[in-house]
Amino acid sequence: MNDTIIEIKDLKINIKIDEGTLTAVRGVDFEIKKGETLGLVGESGCGKSLTSKAILGINDKKCKAEGEIIFDADNLGKVNLLSLNPRGKEIRSVRGKQISMIFQEPMVAFSPMYTIGNQINEATLLHITKDKKKAKEISLEVMRKVGIANAEKRYDQYPHEFSGGMLQRALIAMALVCNPKLLIADEPTTALDVTIQAQILELMKELQKDFGMSILFITHDLGTVAKMCDRVAVMYLGRIVESAPAVEIYKNPQHPYTQGLIGSVHKIGTKNQDRLFSIEGTVPLALNLPAGCGFYDRCHKRIEGVCNVYDPSLVDVGDDHKIACFACTGCPNAKEGQGHE
Amino acid sequence: MSKGDKILDVKNISMQFNSKGVCVRAVTDVSFPVYEGETIGIVGESGCGKTTLGRCIVRAYEPTAGCVEYTASDGLLLDFLKIDKQTMKKYRKEIQMIFQDPYSSLDPRMTVLDIIKEPILANYPKMPKAEVERRVMDIAAKVGLNTTYLKRYPHAFSGGQRQRIGIARALVLNPRVIVCDEAVSALDVSIQAQVINLLHDLQQEFGLTYLFISHDLSVVEYISDKVGVMYLGKMVEFAPTKKLFEHPMHPYTESLLSAVPVADPTVQMERIPLEGEIPNPANPPSGCYFHTRCRFCTEKCKAEAPAYVELEPEHFVACHRAEELKLRGFSYE
Amino acid sequence: MALFKKKVARDESYYLASQWTLMWRKLKKHKLAKFSLAVLAVLYITALFADFFAPYGLEEFSSLYKNTAPTKVYWQDEEGNFSRPYVHKLKKINDKKTWTVIVTEDTSEKYYIDFFVEGIEYKLLGFIPCNTHLYGLVNEQGEVDRSARINIFGADSTGACIFSRILFGGRVSLTIPFVSAAISFVLGILLGGISGYFGGIVDNIIQRIIEVLSAIPSIPLWMALSAAIPPGISVSAMYLYITIILSFIGWTGLARVVRGKFISLRKEDFVMAAKLAGVSDFKIIVKHLVPGFLSYLIVNLTLGIPGSILGETSMSYLGLGMKAPATSWGVLLKETEDLVSVAQCPWKMIPLIFVVITVLAFNFLGDGLRDAADPYK
Repeated sequence: MNDTIIEIKDLKINIKIDEGTLTAVRGVDFEIKKGETLGLVGESGCGKSLTSKAILGINDKKCKAEGEIIFDADNLGKVNLLSLNPRGKEIRSVRGKQISMIFQEPMVAFSPMYTIGNQINEATLLHITKDKKKAKEISLEVMRKVGIANAEKRYDQYPHEFSGGMLQRALIAMALVCNPKLLIADEPTTALDVTIQAQILELMKELQKDFGMSILFITHDLGTVAKMCDRVAVMYLGRIVESAPAVEIYKNPQHPYTQGLIGSVHKIGTKNQDRLFSIEGTVPLALNLPAGCGFYDRCHKRIEGVCNVYDPSLVDVGDDHKIACFACTGCPNAKEGQGHE
Repeated sequence: MSKGDKILDVKNISMQFNSKGVCVRAVTDVSFPVYEGETIGIVGESGCGKTTLGRCIVRAYEPTAGCVEYTASDGLLLDFLKIDKQTMKKYRKEIQMIFQDPYSSLDPRMTVLDIIKEPILANYPKMPKAEVERRVMDIAAKVGLNTTYLKRYPHAFSGGQRQRIGIARALVLNPRVIVCDEAVSALDVSIQAQVINLLHDLQQEFGLTYLFISHDLSVVEYISDKVGVMYLGKMVEFAPTKKLFEHPMHPYTESLLSAVPVADPTVQMERIPLEGEIPNPANPPSGCYFHTRCRFCTEKCKAEAPAYVELEPEHFVACHRAEELKLRGFSYE
Repeated sequence: MALFKKKVARDESYYLASQWTLMWRKLKKHKLAKFSLAVLAVLYITALFADFFAPYGLEEFSSLYKNTAPTKVYWQDEEGNFSRPYVHKLKKINDKKTWTVIVTEDTSEKYYIDFFVEGIEYKLLGFIPCNTHLYGLVNEQGEVDRSARINIFGADSTGACIFSRILFGGRVSLTIPFVSAAISFVLGILLGGISGYFGGIVDNIIQRIIEVLSAIPSIPLWMALSAAIPPGISVSAMYLYITIILSFIGWTGLARVVRGKFISLRKEDFVMAAKLAGVSDFKIIVKHLVPGFLSYLIVNLTLGIPGSILGETSMSYLGLGMKAPATSWGVLLKETEDLVSVAQCPWKMIPLIFVVITVLAFNFLGDGLRDAADPYK
């Protein structure tokens, strides 16, 4: 497909810790098309942030990424980002310019020592123009676009003079200033209040239309995903367990984990249920995992002798809906051949 | 849920913090009644004073004005904020608190057993050891902790389990009112559901009264019987949950509700945008605190602070135009 | 990555581990700190049992050996065969050319190095009468001969064995910091605690005192304070005075740490939870606050000890602290005051190596402790 911006194939991330090697991401595959928003949903520790940081190559030194991240770069063509030197020239021409990122805590993402304008300029001066005057113009334009009123005045202000919502806007401006093809948003609204969160999400949607970029939206909040995303991939324990178009996944969740996640969020206006659906137990640690499905211990649909023996892989059940679950995709015996790892 | 008698009557609570000559009114003149066995949800955005309000009610802070009339277990009516140390000793245990952060709310240097035991030892120093131990075991089992793990330290537990420990500690003294300050906000979604269910079950079993402080409107809608909405330290609306979510009477509540992300992509609510930014609480606007961002603002709103009145039965609101406005809420099935 | 670390599945002993066990586990992973701990253990054990490890007592000196270099140890006999290590004793001869007396080896007799030999009587640990020393010399008949001496680090200007003196000096130099740390500890907790707990004007006064005290340069302050020490007092009294002088400055830093920790811990949710449960203020301090900052305090103390060691050494070196006949590393180093003695007898600098090793070991240990101090992060 030509309109695929980024394709991730069998991404594995190992982290070295004192107790051994922890496989935090255990083979993730997904792709993002042009202009599309993919939501990567999961609870803390599922590896969603590590995956996104691996795309930019900004993970900790202790993390080793394997697999392929094929990005359709303007200057390099289709290139496997993992094969590039993490400090080399090529990756730097991609990072920040063609792929940029918004972080969860806008307060931490800015240095308190420099003005907002200065920090937005940084990327412009690095990637677009060496002319300071021109850079300022570009920055001001983007600041206006993200809805920062009084951009000229705001340009010379320091981060502490901004409110949380305004700072998140500035952060988005900084990410968009080079007109990236892919924007990675790692929990961009988690630290914000609901009213501001709604503003930011709407802003991101508008900007996506204007700039025509793709967004990888990482969050644990199913509500914002519903608002933002075209397609959703649900991660559990370093694996994608289900991926489908957003409408489909909310209407017809198949994987027991997805069902559990959606069931455990109360929907306003439905005061008839007596108890929230909850998933038993807690996320295990990806260290010395037993064979079989990672969700086995917490699953209410588990099939003994199958799910704890074979590891399910993503199976397309039609309509772009993929599930990694023997209980959903039927006939587990047919999978025997490919189950072992 | 059976509604009992009035257990708490929060009356005109105000709390000011003075630091370096700047006086910040964190809570201004908040009143609401609480009946036994019900759950009151308090919502609002960060900085609206909901946490301060909760801490004033448990008397972790001493409010600058107002009173909390408390009908104690023995039928006495007392002002919880004014009673002296001796009396306090007797009644303190009846109002307890569950904290937001399951990490900083447990002393990492004490075993779980010691953490849950501490309140008993402080209140019943003469209780025999076996009895103390039995009570700890009982409550630990009730909140779903594996009692064989009580000798462990908190670092052995995950966030959800830590929150259960915190709940056990709050419950071990058989309190009647529990203030839950963002008790599930720091937890993962699936764990949140576990803890909410647990709180629900405990309420049924012990007839607890909850004051549930949270910024998460869908959680509050699920758990509460009544909800209070705070803005800039003031209570702007207080009503039974369904009433408030279906027919909000304050424009701020309306905007807040419209901003809630619903976990269903087919529902696309039109958001009612809030103009501008939240004003500095050290320097609040004149008149109605909300007038700077309100789309229905009139001259009267700018000049005069609206009274907080019971417009409909059990529905309190502080807005000059509440009666004439037709505001939009959620449609219930 | 902290997230993953926190959740690492471990065995039951980890779950049951208290703060101190966790700290110890973390410290054990710090190799340099572990090594330093071993070095310090050796230093303290040799100082404690200095009578045994040192071949000579403090009063055993021989004018013949004045300012002599480390005794040469031979491994080979005249024919070049390997033999038991032996030394020769020294003798005075008149140099016929220059008409000066020079001291040289008397190669006529061999004295073998032997272990666990009899020597001067002493009381082990102050009460067990004993006369065995780790090593000493025996003559060819295997009898102990006190006329020959082995000074592995050379001899000082009185002719005493420097190695022995270092071990005995360690008793003073290595314990003074501990005693003064103990005094600082008490003062620090008390004043820092008062400052942090009461706040307001008390806090203000204590903080200003701390600031004034830490603004005074230490050496002039020591000079002023040691001028107050009455002359002609006993060694033990001197020891006491020096420790007090040293702790006079040491507590200020600690008090600040205590105060800061006190204030930050007081705001923790678990302290509020205890308050709401009706736990008394005193109990909260003892059960939650003190254990909370104790580990930080120990770290600070460890990191403060090198300062005290150097303090004692430099005071004694300047002649303000311990004075001969007392022995401390500073007193030993006093002999290296002039260039001539350094140039002619470089072995007199050996005590300096001990000072450096000790200070480094404490610093490394403190470094390891600092990393381990908060095992919950």
